[in-house]
Amino acid sequence: MSTPGPLSAVLAALREGATSLDEVARGTGLARDTVSAAVDHLVRLGRIEASDLAVGCPTGGCGSCASGTETGEAGCGSTPSPRRSGPVLVALSIPRR
Amino acid sequence: MTDQLAARTAVPSCHSDAGGRSAAPGAPVVALAGSPNVGKSTLFNALTGARRQMGNWPGTSVEVGRGSWALGDARVPEVALIDLPGAYSLDPASPDEELTRDLLIGAPPDERPDLVIVTVDAAHLARSLYLVAQVREHALRVVVALTMADIAARRGIHVDAHALGAHLGAPAVDVDPRHRSGRASLGEVVAETLHQPVPVPRPLPEMDLGADMGADLDALDADLALADSRFAWVDEAVRAASRTEATGRSTWSDRIDAVVTSRLWGPLVFLGAMWLVFQVTTTVAAPLQDALDTLFTGPVSEGARRLLGLVGLGGTPVEGFVVNGLIAGVGMLLTFAPLMALMFLLLALLEDSGYLARAAVVTDRLMRSIGLPGRAFLPLVVGFGCNVPAISATRTLPNARHRIMTALLVPLTSCSARLTVYVLMATTFFPRQAGTVVFLMYVLSIALVILLGLALRATLWRRVGDEPLILDLPPYQRPHLRLMADQTWVRLRTFLQTAGGIIVATVTIVWLLQATPAGPGHGSFGDVPAEDSAYAATAMAVAPVFEPAGFGEWRTSSALVVGFVAKEAVISSWAQTFAVSEPSSSDQPGRLGELVRADFERSSGGHGAVAAVAFMVFLLAYTPCVATVATQRREIGLRWTLFGIAVQLAMAWTLAVLVFQVGRVFW
Repeated sequence: MSTPGPLSAVLAALREGATSLDEVARGTGLARDTVSAAVDHLVRLGRIEASDLAVGCPTGGCGSCASGTETGEAGCGSTPSPRRSGPVLVALSIPRR
Repeated sequence: MTDQLAARTAVPSCHSDAGGRSAAPGAPVVALAGSPNVGKSTLFNALTGARRQMGNWPGTSVEVGRGSWALGDARVPEVALIDLPGAYSLDPASPDEELTRDLLIGAPPDERPDLVIVTVDAAHLARSLYLVAQVREHALRVVVALTMADIAARRGIHVDAHALGAHLGAPAVDVDPRHRSGRASLGEVVAETLHQPVPVPRPLPEMDLGADMGADLDALDADLALADSRFAWVDEAVRAASRTEATGRSTWSDRIDAVVTSRLWGPLVFLGAMWLVFQVTTTVAAPLQDALDTLFTGPVSEGARRLLGLVGLGGTPVEGFVVNGLIAGVGMLLTFAPLMALMFLLLALLEDSGYLARAAVVTDRLMRSIGLPGRAFLPLVVGFGCNVPAISATRTLPNARHRIMTALLVPLTSCSARLTVYVLMATTFFPRQAGTVVFLMYVLSIALVILLGLALRATLWRRVGDEPLILDLPPYQRPHLRLMADQTWVRLRTFLQTAGGIIVATVTIVWLLQATPAGPGHGSFGDVPAEDSAYAATAMAVAPVFEPAGFGEWRTSSALVVGFVAKEAVISSWAQTFAVSEPSSSDQPGRLGELVRADFERSSGGHGAVAAVAFMVFLLAYTPCVATVATQRREIGLRWTLFGIAVQLAMAWTLAVLVFQVGRVFW
């Protein structure tokens, strides 16, 4: 059995429930930069989906929320701020077998 | 025509003289490749100087730079340099990457560039080297130009170009195109390499993985296995050639993160931070709130009365509507402006400093530990601002069960409109611990989300799958005052605009109902005692339901009925009702709290504070507003919406009764 490469190791760490890239780096023993590159590559391969998560209220303000948006799109928190300081949310989609 | 078509569809060649490069005919062709933002074009400009031209590659809309580079070597005085579009890999995901792939490996071997310089960012080696791994799999001469060494050094990363080159099987040269250094060395190495035979391609990884994992590897798995083997090669090169020293900055950040995201301390720090936010908010805003209250109940109301008297409307229902309705309602909302501004400012501070991202990790872990889907985190966080967009945000969940479950949980997240009521109740009944009481309401909100989530999982959906979620933490930073101020102002303004609109509408309806007699013999329109109005009659019909919870007073239940429409209007309608029913005492500042207190003391048989807690619990747990109900119906259908309303009302009533009945034994 060949040893799993960085991509498999990162994917396995994500499946096991790591919640941050630092945690993945600690769990796999890979460099933080390698983990980050591996996650980006997994996104390119369609193995995981990455979506921005703006924490807190949007720049439009909570007050605008009461009416919601006409299109039914999320208002609060769904628009990343111009200078993103929130976390990046990556949801892992398990490939079908 | 056929020729044009052929020209458009053929694999482009670096040697075709399309667009006319300025190097001498027959000069070797060198392609400059690399990921975006690694300094490739800066390097191209530094190497070619003025001898370059930009333009779309024939048949494409992709811009490519071409120029000549004087190497200063006797054997190779000059090369034609092509600045390929930025590409992270040779598996194209964009037209730019497609052209780079076509030019490098799509053309027949004799039409490919004579040499490829791959620009590699020393600060992000792993990310940049994937392209090198792929290019090395083909019969191409490769030279690696190592950029950004200064930035890497600042982050404590040191790359040994010689060791890197040895591992990659291609010479690596340090260059700093911004300061125009390293050009001569790069030229020498390129000239030397051009004289070497084309190297043997790096062997493609043996796909014995297939034998290990079962023969039926599908295309996806094969892609992953191939990419994985390249990454393993890249990782070895990174380990062999780079050394990372711990910088003070990263240790400092890591140390903080170790505490604020730890399983034990993380939740405690989060709770502590939120407690501090509410504590500071209520304490600091209290005097400002009192001052505004004095302003509206005193000079503003008095001025309006005088003005209406001057135009002959004094003592008419119009005066009642303007003074007791609009000014009391909107004025009450405005007294909350300092409080909201302060809270928005503190939250902006937490957000901008990078702490809120850590809080997200903590809450996400908590949610996953009780089995809620990781992605449901986003709508639930949004819910603390407002439930309506939070329910719309459940659309991002791919699974229908997750969507329904989250849409049912969102109304339990305490939106900002509910905060105004908590503050009034807490400052009235628990003046010294107001911040703590408000904070505890938010803790209760989280607890209710968890409990209902667990209950739904245990009963309706035993097999709600879990979906991992990962958060990448941004670095801590010094908050930007201007950005925080902007954010606070925009949020405050939109809060006031929306709440203002809702309040004017409900004030008008409540005023109309209060002016309408409940039946014949109770007076005429506009001239009816408060207790005999249609408004009071409705509220009195509902009031007995709340008797076991200690707040079966009609004015209290009327506020809850209005609260069903929108929580923003609870306090304004309260102010309006007291202004009408207790006209003599409601025009003094700070009197609303006292009047509410008197009502609660009366309805609870002397256990006003306990009844107040029960009231806040009910207010937190029952249906947030009609807008939320409408959105729920749109997202999860009428049946689930009605189920949600029923569950929430039952839960709110049971909890309120429990709190009052148990609480009054001890207090």
